[in-house]
Amino acid sequence: MRRLPLLAVASAATALVLAACSGSPAPDPSSPSDAASGGSTASDGTDAPTQAGGTLVYASGDAEPTCLDPHVGGNYPQALISTQYLEPLVGRAADGTTTPWLATDWTVSEDGLTWDFTLAERTFTDGTPFDAAAVKANIEHLQDPDTGSSTGYLAVEKVTEVEVVDDRHARFHLSEPDAALLESLAQQWTAMQSPTGLARGMEENCLAPAGTGPFVVTGWTPQQQVDLVANPDYVDATGEAAPPLLDGITWRFVPDAATRYAALVSGEVDVIDNPQPDTITAAEADASLGIEHIDNPRPGSVNRIELNSGQTPFDDIRVREAFIRSANPGPGIEALFSSTAVPSFSPLSSVEPVAVSREEQFTYDLDAANTLLDEAGWTERDADGYRTKDGARLSVRFPVSTNQSVPAEQALFQQIQANVKEAGFEVVLTPLDLGAWYAALGAHEYEAVSAPYTKVGPDVLRILYHSSGTEPAPSGYFANHAYVRDAELDALLDEASATQDAAQRADLLEQAQVRILEGYYILPLYDQQNHFLVRGVTGIDTSNPVATLSFQTASLTD
Amino acid sequence: MTTTPGPSRRALLRVAALAGRALLVVWVTATVVFLALRAAGGDPVEAVLGGPGSQAGPEAVAAARAQYGLDLPVWQQYLLQLWRVLTLDLGDSYARRTPVLDLVLSALGPTAALAVSALVLGWLLALGAAWLVSWARAVSGRLAPVGRAVVAVVRGWEVLASVLPHFWLGAVLVALFAVGLRWFPATSTPGSLAGLVLPTVTLAIPLAGFLGQLLGEGVGDAESRPFATTARARGAGPTRVFSRHTLRHAAIPTVALTGWAFGFLVSGAVVVETLFGRPGLGRLLVDSTLQRDVPVVMGAIVVIALVYVLLTVVTEAVEGLLDPRAATTGEDR
Repeated sequence: MRRLPLLAVASAATALVLAACSGSPAPDPSSPSDAASGGSTASDGTDAPTQAGGTLVYASGDAEPTCLDPHVGGNYPQALISTQYLEPLVGRAADGTTTPWLATDWTVSEDGLTWDFTLAERTFTDGTPFDAAAVKANIEHLQDPDTGSSTGYLAVEKVTEVEVVDDRHARFHLSEPDAALLESLAQQWTAMQSPTGLARGMEENCLAPAGTGPFVVTGWTPQQQVDLVANPDYVDATGEAAPPLLDGITWRFVPDAATRYAALVSGEVDVIDNPQPDTITAAEADASLGIEHIDNPRPGSVNRIELNSGQTPFDDIRVREAFIRSANPGPGIEALFSSTAVPSFSPLSSVEPVAVSREEQFTYDLDAANTLLDEAGWTERDADGYRTKDGARLSVRFPVSTNQSVPAEQALFQQIQANVKEAGFEVVLTPLDLGAWYAALGAHEYEAVSAPYTKVGPDVLRILYHSSGTEPAPSGYFANHAYVRDAELDALLDEASATQDAAQRADLLEQAQVRILEGYYILPLYDQQNHFLVRGVTGIDTSNPVATLSFQTASLTD
Repeated sequence: MTTTPGPSRRALLRVAALAGRALLVVWVTATVVFLALRAAGGDPVEAVLGGPGSQAGPEAVAAARAQYGLDLPVWQQYLLQLWRVLTLDLGDSYARRTPVLDLVLSALGPTAALAVSALVLGWLLALGAAWLVSWARAVSGRLAPVGRAVVAVVRGWEVLASVLPHFWLGAVLVALFAVGLRWFPATSTPGSLAGLVLPTVTLAIPLAGFLGQLLGEGVGDAESRPFATTARARGAGPTRVFSRHTLRHAAIPTVALTGWAFGFLVSGAVVVETLFGRPGLGRLLVDSTLQRDVPVVMGAIVVIALVYVLLTVVTEAVEGLLDPRAATTGEDR
């Protein structure tokens, strides 16, 4: 009997370790995007006969949502699944322009403080009409503290009131101009839900939110699956009746990447997300498997290593440049991601039309790095070969989120650790689970970090690099991990946020990116990886602004 | 004047002692879980607000803290959790906002199915191996080298099986039987018997290794005892000696270990349920630990601890049946 508590504790410890090690991508905070209407479709080009009907099985490796209403919290797993049943007000085309969805038209006042939206005629799947009062109820729901919204709340922060002009017209009043408003409203995290559904209360609404989307949630077996059936009355963004070809979707949660792939190969499931780079390569190399690869990078920020310029040693731009010049991530990316990830030289995702790429700033140059460190006063070397200054070692604490960095990315960090050692940097990589990792960031216990951030549109620059992003949210979270506090950059970002002129906004954002790159605050790595493997399905729509998949036009081929 | 406690009083004392031990177990586990989750870092309020890294506004954070008592001093939060555990009112999940008891109970079924099937299969494999060894030891003459080889192979298999990590074994079984032969699905859902096979085998093989080693040792020990020699002298064959005499002797310590085996299965379930995408207590523990969903972790661990207590009582009773000495003394060994 005396051994009992020990055993129970051992199980708890195993859970802790597994939680820390499991590679299942975790919810990442924030995420905006606009949805493109009816846009690009990625379908395999096979000639296999398609058939109407059938239930598609999707296996997700993302953390299981704790609530199916993406207003609550607001993370990527919620965006993935809610794309099937909720729709945002507007969409986003590949060129970055906003497209109509539940709002058919919009105008903004001269001062940028009043937006008028004309609404499409739609009915929520619970029979409630979609109208201006529904839009008002949704924005108020996002802003209600009891909703506990994180992402959507930030997206509509500047909206002070939604005025119901009439059934088909909603007027947004803003506290200050917001050039990113349409991009913010294009995200799943601000998608429209039935006000009748919301009125049921959070507990009930979390289980089955009602939207205007192509599918309807009919059941949720925790840790296992969510069941969805086709909405026969679905009307698409162009106003055409477009019921899905599928009968429904079984949305399963399978945390282990190898098991997901095995289930796809053996035909148990039709679509998987978050495949590991080696399985993508294996699937592409063997045509007999009949597996199609969808590479749909997320919008907003690129994946990068942020150097904490708020404290020593990276408060010195020469030390930051030396780190970046000696890191040499290119060969590692090629080897570890086997061409599934392309090196980036921009603060923004390659899907953002205004992204500025500066490859020349990131070329590997160990001599330059050594010269810079000598100039910065890190002239001595200790017995282990690391540089020192006044007896202190040139040391970089690098907490790694094991839930957000896939094994290949963690291996890449180890290669960078070895590369910068040549220049005399000591990098201390510490793997942490999500909660402990955010706690380390909140306590400023890092000199380098790689934190994903999904948001639709270049406004993500303001969140990640504006000095206001160094002020922590009440939870301790702050988005500006590089700790950039640059008045000129702030001015550029503020102006870009306030302007109503698209060309001027693009120009300001390009200047801002140059300033970020030339400040050597970040080492860009690659787009936020967002891969899917598909077998026996055609007509998958990849155009959602947050790069999720929609199965409205999909059908099974065998 | 001293009196010998009557049978009913003795039973009462035993029940009281049992309840005391159960309370002690629950208190220790609840305390360790509480401390471990605090030591792990991260703020539980984030579980309410969409998980770690939440950017929720000040009002939302304040509302969540107040609602779940997270604004109280740490010692009060500890006492509150303890009180909830003791009254079995486990409260609501931070992340899901549904009663913890519902979550834990619905996860308990699939894990119990998995643990019981693995325990049965593990015992069958261990019994088979022990019988094989006792048969192989009994062969003589020209076949003696074969017998020795069989013993060596079984012993080697048991040692190897007992050290195989679950995640590795599971991955190999999936590659072999789900992707290669396609006999069984790679993922497992409750209600699907075919889906139960690979997770069960993954858990049962290392367990069979442990149980088999222990059982084999006991059988070997018993075979050299006088009662076994007597039985053989009366003309009993190896199978009869095994099934009637030596197994019974060897089974006692092995049965006593079944409580431990359950612990082994639960910690294995943490890995196996995640690997096969199967709902259950293990996966609930992983997910809620990641979320810092304190009430759910607490509830799941306490329920596991209580099942331990229950199993220990049951195994003690079974031991009593197998070994009359235990029943008369009533002592813990």
